[in-house]
Amino acid sequence: MIYRETGNFVTNYFKDREIFPLKFDKVVVILGLLYLFLYVPTTSEYFLSAHVIPILAVGLATVGLNILTGLTGQLSLGTAGFMCVGAFGTYNLMLRVPDALMSLPFALLLSGIFAGLVGVIFGLPAIRIKGFYLLVSTLAAQYFVWWFFNSYAWFLNYESSGVVAIAPKFYDYWGLGNFLGVDMQGYPARYLLALVICIGLSYFAKNLLRSNTGRNFMSVRDRDIAASVMGISVPKAKLLAFFISCFYCGVAGGIYSFLYIGNVDLMIYEVDRSFTILFMLIIGGLGSISGSWLGAIFVYEFPIIFTWVGDFIFQGAFNTAVVENVSNMVYGVFIIALLIREPGGFAALWATTKQKLRMWPYPH
Amino acid sequence: MSDILKVENVTLQFGGVKAITDISFNVKEGEICAVIGPNGAGKSSMLNVINGVYLPQIGTVTYDGVERQSINPRDAAIAGMARTFQNIALFQGMNVLENIMTGRNLFMKSTWLEQGLNIGRAREEERVNRLAVEKVIKFLQIESIRKTPVSKLPYGLQKRVELGRALVAEPKILLLDEPMAGMNLEEKADMSCFILEINKEQGITTVMIEHDMGVVMDISDHVVVLDYGKKIGDGSPSEVMANQDVIDAYLGVSH
Repeated sequence: MIYRETGNFVTNYFKDREIFPLKFDKVVVILGLLYLFLYVPTTSEYFLSAHVIPILAVGLATVGLNILTGLTGQLSLGTAGFMCVGAFGTYNLMLRVPDALMSLPFALLLSGIFAGLVGVIFGLPAIRIKGFYLLVSTLAAQYFVWWFFNSYAWFLNYESSGVVAIAPKFYDYWGLGNFLGVDMQGYPARYLLALVICIGLSYFAKNLLRSNTGRNFMSVRDRDIAASVMGISVPKAKLLAFFISCFYCGVAGGIYSFLYIGNVDLMIYEVDRSFTILFMLIIGGLGSISGSWLGAIFVYEFPIIFTWVGDFIFQGAFNTAVVENVSNMVYGVFIIALLIREPGGFAALWATTKQKLRMWPYPH
Repeated sequence: MSDILKVENVTLQFGGVKAITDISFNVKEGEICAVIGPNGAGKSSMLNVINGVYLPQIGTVTYDGVERQSINPRDAAIAGMARTFQNIALFQGMNVLENIMTGRNLFMKSTWLEQGLNIGRAREEERVNRLAVEKVIKFLQIESIRKTPVSKLPYGLQKRVELGRALVAEPKILLLDEPMAGMNLEEKADMSCFILEINKEQGITTVMIEHDMGVVMDISDHVVVLDYGKKIGDGSPSEVMANQDVIDAYLGVSH
């Protein structure tokens, strides 16, 4: 048996903090990451564009919501609104800043910062209110952002249709594509950019979760009075959580618009999307970064796989309305079942499975 | 020795209910001061006033030479006050180690950016503070439950973890709200040893609310007795035991 903790002795506190303490895990993760990078030639453009890139985008938003809701305990329904700020921010940065100064990766991160600042403004009520009341405040953020971009056509460069297609020159990256001889607008290049950002930000979130900031966030979630008695500034922790979370959502919005659908469209960022991301978070597991990704994959892929099953087994018996309704019912059932049986979501199920395997075959 | 904490004429009201009426007492540096009294006497409210969870309507609290009518809990923590709660206020979603690590948050100077990237000061701080936490874990003999989620621990151990979380902040004064409530004899003996050791070896002034008279009389240097929000006794354990008002409050009085 390779997968055993026995014999793995931690000899100092640095080692005790490792994300993957087992050698086996480390090898698997490194191989997995390598595979993700070398994935492109083994797959089709269609699969990248229809499955992988959108999952990267919504998964990143789920990680962002996780920092706010899972880690800090502040409920939010403004996710899509903050994604919208990110998408519009990226578009305007690319459009209005001279090309020599701006490039898509930077525009994504900068517009993430815009989204973060907007998040802080709508997070201010969190200093005084909690729970469901805060939910209303973040819902207001969702509708305000939507109304704002709908009302001021400047942000869409006065495009009368309400949707702007993204110009090919935005994918130029200072001529990097020509230099390498790669089509930067093509899905493989888009995928790699999204992948690098998602891995980087997931690593950042994981570190944050294990550090003092993460512990401060969790203490605010679990007992805010005890947290303040221990010297943690509760308002500061809440606002910081809003900033970081909305930063993630903003970047995710930019990725969704620029690297997935290729246009900036307000209709994508309606409140339904906030709910979908909340489902991903709950199904995946509050407070776990890997859980957010699992939840995003499940919720995004379920309707696709369901349609596929319908096509193959029942000769296309399911039309889109059926698929959508069944999907919503399945999410509902999953959320209820998980809340009752395993509030930690998929992440906790995974941890339990690992624990059981570790004990196997002598569970006592 | 000088007084580290002076409570002067404190009155605390919730609407029409007077929780505390005009209470004054002093705590000397380095002593164990026990606050006792029947249920509803205002003991926990008194602690909450001292470290700023409640704001008194009248009166001041002088701590470490600074007189204040109110202090916010965070400033109290920065000034070196640490406390535990009557109904354990551990962070239920975290394990023992993380809970005690939060007690070190005031020692962490690195920014969230450094922590997220796991570079520079952040790495070193995690290690240095972990060493301090491990010392406390060893002192409280909870090494074996280091990585256990606190929600899975029995009550007595949770109380111990909470003491650890307060202790690891290296406070000047420790406020303990019923550290021995609900414990059996053995656990009480352990807890008493810890409190005495913290006080005598590390010289941390301790203010403690406790109901077990045996423990109070054994380990405290100074006892303050409250009843219905008023102070009815103040002095050494033997003085308080001889005080007629205290005896009346506890045993009742014939009318």
